[in-house]
Amino acid sequence: MKLLGEFLKGIWRENPTFRMVLGLCPTLAVSTTIANGIGMGLAATFVLVGSSIFVSLVRNIVPEKVRIPCYIVIIATFVTIADLFMKAYSPALSRSLGMFVPLIVVNCIVLGRAEAFSSKEPPMRSIIDALGMGIGFTLALIVISAIRESLGNGTALGFSFSRVFEPPLFMILAPGALLTIGLLIGLINYFTAKKGLRRGKKD
Amino acid sequence: MNQMLRFGLILGLICAAATLVLAVTYEVTKPKIEDQLKKEESAALAKVVMPGADTFTEKTLDGVEYLEAFKNKRLVGYCIRATGTGYSGYIRMLVGIDLSSTIKGVSILEHSETPGLGAKINEVRPKEEEPYFLRQFKGKQAYSIELKKDVDAITGATISSKAVSDAIRDTVNKFLAKMKDEKGL
Repeated sequence: MKLLGEFLKGIWRENPTFRMVLGLCPTLAVSTTIANGIGMGLAATFVLVGSSIFVSLVRNIVPEKVRIPCYIVIIATFVTIADLFMKAYSPALSRSLGMFVPLIVVNCIVLGRAEAFSSKEPPMRSIIDALGMGIGFTLALIVISAIRESLGNGTALGFSFSRVFEPPLFMILAPGALLTIGLLIGLINYFTAKKGLRRGKKD
Repeated sequence: MNQMLRFGLILGLICAAATLVLAVTYEVTKPKIEDQLKKEESAALAKVVMPGADTFTEKTLDGVEYLEAFKNKRLVGYCIRATGTGYSGYIRMLVGIDLSSTIKGVSILEHSETPGLGAKINEVRPKEEEPYFLRQFKGKQAYSIELKKDVDAITGATISSKAVSDAIRDTVNKFLAKMKDEKGL
């Protein structure tokens, strides 16, 4: 039951994109199409899970003072593995994600989980936490990219409905990403605040 | 001092382990990655860059890499390797020209342009066979090709579009000049 809570918190209560507002750089950049969003989300999930296992395993032998370089080396290793395998087995996806795969190294969600969670918790709980965070990140990317791709390009996963309306280009450009993410975070904050108010009255 | 040595040793151990893992992964994926690149290139050659040609031989002329294209053992044109500087990195492509330097086809082998913007230089519309941006180059004179005059730029991606058209024009001109020198000598 506790493990389930550890998993679920990444998807909603502590969602990296919408609640903690972390890793926005890749979110802004790759959320132009749904396929890119899913690819990026899964690559980041792989890196999160892989690095959290190892960060958790070495947590008792890594000294406090050199922990950040140790974590970065572990994370960079998994990012490079993901990048190479993507190039070898999914060249189309690798081409469309381009430089954003190597940039997962500096994605603050990954280092954030290493620092805040897996450096203090046993491997099993770390894996569950990383999976939750990774899936939460992937879902957030899917929601944002679905809005941007359908509005800005008139397509969604290969379906085209650009004949129905003229897609406003700016939804695909950076301002569209900021607007979408901002409105979504606002919406989520509004509902959480309302729920909190109701709960407050009951008590 | 003792403590610093211990810290360095632990970090070094982790780095060594990471290096080992990466070396293995690199070796495992290397043939597969090269295979993918070669497959893409040969598929592009006969289908897009020089349709109709059946054999290609790799050549180098004074730094310009190109392939001679043959059809039934007769030389029909050249496929020239061109590299342009795009918005976020190099754009590597193959340009096919016939003997009167008319463009037969262009194929982009590698680029790192912005997804949704510059990446449209290589985007294929649904139900279409080839990228709509590159299709425009077909039948145009390679040595004088110019963006906005001969081909339309992609909205919001002028730098990427210009990188492609400039690289084609400049590389073909360089190639033609070198060929002339070669024949003149």
